[in-house]
Amino acid sequence: MAKAVKADMPRVARFEPFSLVWFCGLVGLAIVASLAFDPYLAYVATSWVIFGLLGLSLDLVWGRGGILSFGQTAFYGLGGYLGSITAINFASLTGNTLVWSLPVGMATGAATAFLIGGLTFYGRLGPLQTTIITYTFTLVLWTVAVSFTATVGEAVVGGDNGMSNIPGYVLGLGRDAPLLEPGAMFLTVAVIATIAWYASHVLMRSPFGLVVDCIRMDPVKAELLGYDVRLYQLLLFTIAGAVAGLAGALFGAWANYLNPSVFSVQEALLVPIYVLVGGRGTLVGAFIGALAVGGLSFWLGGGVIGGQTTLVMGACLILLVIFLRNGLTGGLKDLMELARRLARRRDQGEEAEARKSSLSVDFERLDLLRTAGGEPVVLETEDTFKRFGGVTPVRHISQSFSRGRVRCLIGPNGAGKSSYLKACTGVYKPDGGSITLAGQDITKTDPFRRVRMGLGIKNQRAQVFAGLDVRRNLWVAAYSRSRDARMADWITTEMLHMLGMRNSASRPASELSHGEQQWLDLGMVLALAPDVILLDEPAAGMTNEERRQLSHMVRALARTASVVVVEHDMDFVRTLDADVTVLHQGEVFARGDIESLRQDDRVLDIYLGRRQHV
Amino acid sequence: MELDYLATVLLSSLSSASVLLIATVGLAIVFGLMGVINLAHGEFIMFGAYVALFATRNGVPFPLAVVLASVVTALFGAIVERAIIRHLYGRILDTLLATWGLSLVLYQSAVLIFGTVTPGVGMPQSNIEIGNYTLSTYLLFLILVAVVLIGLLYWLLTRTGYGIVARAAIQDPQTAATIGIESGRINTATFALGSGLAGFAGAILLPAFPATPSMGFAFVIKAFLAVVAAGPVTLSGTVVAGGALGSIASMTASFYTTVMGDVVFFLATITILRIFPLGISARWRLKL
Amino acid sequence: MFEITDATGGYGKTRIIRSVSMSVKTGEVVALLGRNGVGKTTLLKYIMGLIDVFGGQVSLDGAPLPASTARRARAGLGYVPQGRYVFPRLTVTENIAAAAIGCGLGRKEAVERALANFPILRDKAEALAGSLSGGQQQILAIARALATRPRVLMLDEPSEGVQPSIVDEIAGILMAMKDEATLSIIIAEQNLDFCLSLAERAYVMAGGTIAREVTRDELIGDRELLHDLLGV
Repeated sequence: MAKAVKADMPRVARFEPFSLVWFCGLVGLAIVASLAFDPYLAYVATSWVIFGLLGLSLDLVWGRGGILSFGQTAFYGLGGYLGSITAINFASLTGNTLVWSLPVGMATGAATAFLIGGLTFYGRLGPLQTTIITYTFTLVLWTVAVSFTATVGEAVVGGDNGMSNIPGYVLGLGRDAPLLEPGAMFLTVAVIATIAWYASHVLMRSPFGLVVDCIRMDPVKAELLGYDVRLYQLLLFTIAGAVAGLAGALFGAWANYLNPSVFSVQEALLVPIYVLVGGRGTLVGAFIGALAVGGLSFWLGGGVIGGQTTLVMGACLILLVIFLRNGLTGGLKDLMELARRLARRRDQGEEAEARKSSLSVDFERLDLLRTAGGEPVVLETEDTFKRFGGVTPVRHISQSFSRGRVRCLIGPNGAGKSSYLKACTGVYKPDGGSITLAGQDITKTDPFRRVRMGLGIKNQRAQVFAGLDVRRNLWVAAYSRSRDARMADWITTEMLHMLGMRNSASRPASELSHGEQQWLDLGMVLALAPDVILLDEPAAGMTNEERRQLSHMVRALARTASVVVVEHDMDFVRTLDADVTVLHQGEVFARGDIESLRQDDRVLDIYLGRRQHV
Repeated sequence: MELDYLATVLLSSLSSASVLLIATVGLAIVFGLMGVINLAHGEFIMFGAYVALFATRNGVPFPLAVVLASVVTALFGAIVERAIIRHLYGRILDTLLATWGLSLVLYQSAVLIFGTVTPGVGMPQSNIEIGNYTLSTYLLFLILVAVVLIGLLYWLLTRTGYGIVARAAIQDPQTAATIGIESGRINTATFALGSGLAGFAGAILLPAFPATPSMGFAFVIKAFLAVVAAGPVTLSGTVVAGGALGSIASMTASFYTTVMGDVVFFLATITILRIFPLGISARWRLKL
Repeated sequence: MFEITDATGGYGKTRIIRSVSMSVKTGEVVALLGRNGVGKTTLLKYIMGLIDVFGGQVSLDGAPLPASTARRARAGLGYVPQGRYVFPRLTVTENIAAAAIGCGLGRKEAVERALANFPILRDKAEALAGSLSGGQQQILAIARALATRPRVLMLDEPSEGVQPSIVDEIAGILMAMKDEATLSIIIAEQNLDFCLSLAERAYVMAGGTIAREVTRDELIGDRELLHDLLGV
């Protein structure tokens, strides 16, 4: 089975030889440039490449991770200082300077980023707070560096006077190994930068990168797919810190001198400009930006930093943010996208027609996807309650959900259905009582861990990753369960068949209709093969045909999983042949099948809100 | 430890905390009522300081110069809001970037115009003696200024129509619109208010902190951290967080160096945020 | 006369209500009925200018209303959103004052009037709105909407999650306003008894459009329709 479907399955998140061509091309370009540049230009251009590397580190965390960090120069500066101190002391042992400075620089950058990232991500700070913390961290380092003096072996850190005698680029081994000429130095740095870019590129194409992209688009959904969002953010931040530290060590060796200005805001300001000019999230854009900015100020005369450049750069940043926030490449892309949309508009009607007919669930495959068998997994809540301000929307609800028959929670608006569900998923931490899943207490467990333990959660609102195509949406969910790319490919293909979305596999999720997005979201939940499935108003906003299929699917799922449906729509509930629990004012009001509840006047009363009025 | 020493340390910490509060309230107001952090806040302080400096040099009495500096900086803030901030509503990180760019434009312009060092405003320094120690009278006066300033702001934001409407607009812009509140105009006024407060800070602190292009940096580390530590109830939160952290930093600074004061402030803020991720005031039931 | 003609709108590219037309006379109370998700809330938001408009218009006494929400509020539309949305860190008095100021009316007078009309708020006048119970917040939301001196009042699920005694109180307040006959009132509700105690006429929505228009008596007599509306 797995073999048969592999042929038509484009690979998601895998090594692609295409980028290897790019890699060789860039190295070739660097060789040509190193030969063509005169020594002075080669010397100056080396710094542009180093700044591009610094930009790359920001693009990783901001462009891909969605975290705006003003701390990249801090990791860069610290990496530069520590890498250079090591090189000053030990380079005489080997001749080669880079074997000392680069690893130490990277390790320093990574370790610092790990600390700062750990504090902000695990402290659950908001995006604004995170940016401010990184900014003030850089400023604090700057004030410290200005007055900090120390002597470490042969290295003299002289506060505002800086640290000199940093050894330059030596590749050869032995005491007499020569200092590289500017051309060779440029080539060395360019190759290192290309390797760093290539490694980042491969990483961001890997499942890790795909998950990072998903977290940027919708961190809540990423967590509901069982990904440890904070861990991913911390890893990304640490990797980017290593890249920044690498750039710092390269810079120290290039300038042979470091002073606190590496931590200054003037220096830090340039980094987002590189990224913005080159285009956010493109990775290679950071280099384009650094080359463009560096090249421009070179032709205009004057260095990259200092003088009026700060003034011009500050103004540039404002203009870029207001008018071209996706950078030059992004601006071009937007234009092309617009043209594409205009061209597409013509055949849109036809497509919509085709879409409608393609939506059909292949129930045969449903059982295939589920790892059925074994003991039924039970979700149990005992005496759970949750209070908000003065009101208590969940009062001591004790329920046990097992497989076999669909369980429905109904009740009028404000009955506490959603709050109860949120306590089960972990969005709300209950004030009392306990929740157990398969016998394990999960009352205080994070949502992503509950998902990994077999809980599948579908929120009322369709949560899909708008920027990814349908296939990748499903793949990310499938990968969370299997942690195996091949397995994820297979599950994705099966799921596409089952949802009847094969023809839409390459369409971005943002282009799907409301009902299709709900359908895709459901598919993502099922791709996790959960043992307990919580569905919050799944039928809302669906057409009659979609509801009918949904009802089929939910009933089929209940054979192998515990399915809990929170619904408003009694018609839909009726089709589920479910065991229905009525909630009212945060408590269990009645339980039975729908027909007997329909006969119950008390239930009708609470729905009608029946009392005497005026 | 003698009593006079203790009193001196206490008063000087209190005055440092007051200086910090004076420098921070503008930032806190803009953050609390617009949800925007103005990274150019330090340069707005510098702007106010230079306006006051030039006014006094041209014979304007100092108190009047302070008023003038506040008004001019407020006008400048209103222009900035219309020209830049307005286009970035709902794009909070982009707002940070744009105001950061503005911060450096202002800083660099000041360097070009005034050079890196400018002499302070000429004001007779008077000191007060407590036992064996002396304290600057002006720094003690700033404690009073901070108290009056906070009181006035509290009055402005809870008693006046503008204050009520501005607080409504930040709590729920959409609902505010359904009762006729136009958040656009409110935001211009709020940003101008915050900028005016920065200008006021630069001017009133001038006798103690001479105007230099980089003077903003001296305040912003603590100011930003205080606002982040304060959390959603910005004014009260900033008073408590800024007061407490400012005093701690000032004591550290008096025992070690000012740099250590900054470091301790940073570490203390991080510690606070580990305990209260949304800031200390996240669960306070207060108006402001 | 308050009129909505051919209203079509939604969010982004998603169209939620289609060609909705309705009218409400001054002094009349009209109910907006239908199951969850048929577009009642969206229609009210459309009227208030809170969603993307694809077509149609809203007019009061023949004059089309401006597009911006704030201007519509000042032109005489009062709105009590579902879930109340009082300003939690404003006091009860300030919530009412904000509405009066927003519409350029005197705040003192507005507060006095509101506290006189809603005695239940009097004890809580200086309490933060966020500390009120759900029912008290609902009453505050209504008082706030009335402080704009509207000519049309729209209420979205005013009885939702509110304890019965307060639902009765709200019904009494609305009944008194109806008797004054200066307001047009539109109520979107699930609670039929509550609704029918006030409205003589109802629009029944389905699938984002008006499915039919019925009088109170027609509705009460039609058990089929009742069940259909409730989904029971």
